Amino acid sequence: MIERGEVAFGTTGRNHCLLHSGGRYCVTDQESAIECIDENLILRRIMPDLLELNDGLFVAVTESDLAFKERFLEGCAACHIPAHEVTVARALAMEPFLNPTILAAIQIPDGVFEPFRFCLSFLATALKNGATVRTFTEVTDFVCSDRNPTGVKIRDFRTGKTETIGGDIIVNAAGPWAGEIAAKAGVSVPEVPTAGVMVALDCRLNNMVLNRLNKPSDGDIVVPQRATSVIGTTSWKVEDPDLITIPPEHVERMISQGEKLIPTVRRVPMRAKMAVARPLIAMTGTDARELSRTFECFDHARDGVNGFVTITGGKTTTARAMAERVSDIVCQKLNHKAECRTREVPLTSYRFFFERQNVLKRRALAQLQTSDRPNIGFEERT
Amino acid sequence: MLTVPVEIFRFKPGQAQRYDTFTVEIAETAHVIDVIDTVWAKHDPTLTFRRACHHSSCGSCAVRINGAEKLPCIVRLTDVWNGRNPIRIEPLRNFPVVSDLLVEVGDFFERMSAASMTITCEAEGFLPLTVDTFAVAGVLPKTVELPDNLSRFNRFEQCIECGICMSACPTMATDNKFIGPAGLAAIYQARHKTDDPTRVKHLLGLADGEHGVWRCHSAFECTEACPQAVDPASKIMALRRELALRRLRKMFGLRI
Amino acid sequence: MSTLNYSKTRQAARWFDVRRRKAGMWAYALNRITGIGLVVYLYLHLGVLSMLIQGQSAWDAFVGLARSPFYLALDVILLAGILIHGLNGLRLAVTGFGFSAGAQKALFTILMISGGIILIAAALKIFQI
Repeated sequence: MIERGEVAFGTTGRNHCLLHSGGRYCVTDQESAIECIDENLILRRIMPDLLELNDGLFVAVTESDLAFKERFLEGCAACHIPAHEVTVARALAMEPFLNPTILAAIQIPDGVFEPFRFCLSFLATALKNGATVRTFTEVTDFVCSDRNPTGVKIRDFRTGKTETIGGDIIVNAAGPWAGEIAAKAGVSVPEVPTAGVMVALDCRLNNMVLNRLNKPSDGDIVVPQRATSVIGTTSWKVEDPDLITIPPEHVERMISQGEKLIPTVRRVPMRAKMAVARPLIAMTGTDARELSRTFECFDHARDGVNGFVTITGGKTTTARAMAERVSDIVCQKLNHKAECRTREVPLTSYRFFFERQNVLKRRALAQLQTSDRPNIGFEERT
Repeated sequence: MLTVPVEIFRFKPGQAQRYDTFTVEIAETAHVIDVIDTVWAKHDPTLTFRRACHHSSCGSCAVRINGAEKLPCIVRLTDVWNGRNPIRIEPLRNFPVVSDLLVEVGDFFERMSAASMTITCEAEGFLPLTVDTFAVAGVLPKTVELPDNLSRFNRFEQCIECGICMSACPTMATDNKFIGPAGLAAIYQARHKTDDPTRVKHLLGLADGEHGVWRCHSAFECTEACPQAVDPASKIMALRRELALRRLRKMFGLRI
Repeated sequence: MSTLNYSKTRQAARWFDVRRRKAGMWAYALNRITGIGLVVYLYLHLGVLSMLIQGQSAWDAFVGLARSPFYLALDVILLAGILIHGLNGLRLAVTGFGFSAGAQKALFTILMISGGIILIAAALKIFQI
């Protein structure tokens, strides 16, 4: 695995930290909603220590929200998302800062994860099972035979060294940068990098994830995490996912919308604000907000390029499912018969990701001191 | 928009260390992480640094800003820039520097592993708001009675394993085997999550070791620098008290 | 991958690096400076005492020297070191066993102010001799 920065340097690191129950998409995007609830249940099993599981509330603030309730409950039922209505009094008892004028509240199994450790534990597990992970390393070009990629040229930013590594199949999982990588291999990916702004407050105002009971829109969700509450998000198309300038009016919109869920929001100082591009799959004639949050795997054999596969779209909650899909396709292409086991295998501690490098480095050093053989470095030995 | 000079520590294996100065065009409302991101995206893609969540939850971006350990994602540019001199950004101290702002955290995570603190716990209060800004915001009450038939809420631990306390600790500078503030605070947390005597004994043994709590020489810089109000110093002292009391009881033949 | 590490001396210099640090670090650095100073003094003191072996005349000559204003000023500095180190030691003994660790800064301030008062009083007394 080659990553340009540290693990979670890109989109996944800066997401909203919401372990989706699927409730958010159960009316407008049921395919994505079902993926979410399925993955939600799997992640609870494989990374129990890495989740803050306090459920979520969808609350009706306006009459139009209230009118959405029946459709929402039907949507949840259709996507097998366990949802139940709680009384306004109970909702307010659980959430003392919730807008006291709410009209209805529905509890669903949302949760909160922590993006950095989420990614680290997957990679730690991969390392334990023999994977090689090279961070701070950029793919500069492809090595092709005819039009088919057979390897990549890479550059390590830490040392400045370049090298070429070969591969039977190359998977492009670069998120909003997938288009850029695919272009290096001479193919295109129908992808729209769509940014969203999030605002983190200086203290935590909710126990559970709070959502507006309506179709997804700007600033309709407040995700609590550690000592902060994060309001999100907006949605607009961006050209360069490397650097996104946050439009000030989006920040203001987060506060003014967030205020409808938690009136105290405006009185709390802002701790941080961030924006990152989601890798949404392009569909003709749709607005950024309406693009599906589902994922897709493109086998570029359809473009006449063999040995190159792109996986894009999706959400952090469905990241494991995306990996399962792409590894199934890779196995199929290589005629390798193996079951994907990531549904059952509990993940290794995220701390192992860093420890492992340390242990190997010490071992390599000891070997260097005891033998005359040239040291091949711990990176290659992983 | 502001035009901000920023001086960044640079090091690549086999080369001499140096400081590079960049002039960055950036919004007045930006945080320091945005400055680093801009340098990387617009000026020098070979700059290596860690970042992930941008809201002080992952702990990956910790650096020294003008000499003080901070999380650049929650430090406003205008709070550290005097309008003239460059902002100086350097890697954490007491960690080997791998490249630029990137430090080797393997040893650190090994210690955190040894402390075996899980990162989720039961919420202590109803809405435990450790940050003083709660008072600033004028929103009370701090805690609310838990309604009946409602189980306790679940929380992440406050510690984000950013390494800031390890960098701020002067003792750490001369004993690189010292478990350090984060590790000892984690031992304290783990010790208070368990009643199992074998586990308690193991954890206290770890804290009592040669590089444990007695190595701390009370500079209290860990607590001052911690961005998450973990207060490692008080936790180290509390561990010492427990260890000392146990030893006293043993001395007088009392059962522990 | 080779990493950048600093020498032990450079690392040890961080004991005294109080730039951008708070009261606790000042106390830490002061405690080390006074500690080293007091150890040096102890040896000087032993050296001076050994003059007694050389007989009364050598000792009287030294006592005469010790009554000069310069020596009295050194005495005040010595006392300042003892006060800083001793009073800070009290603070460390209290906080070090888990009592009022949260009040360490206030304790430091109070102890140093009282140390200052004692020092002024003692300095006046010393120079009256």
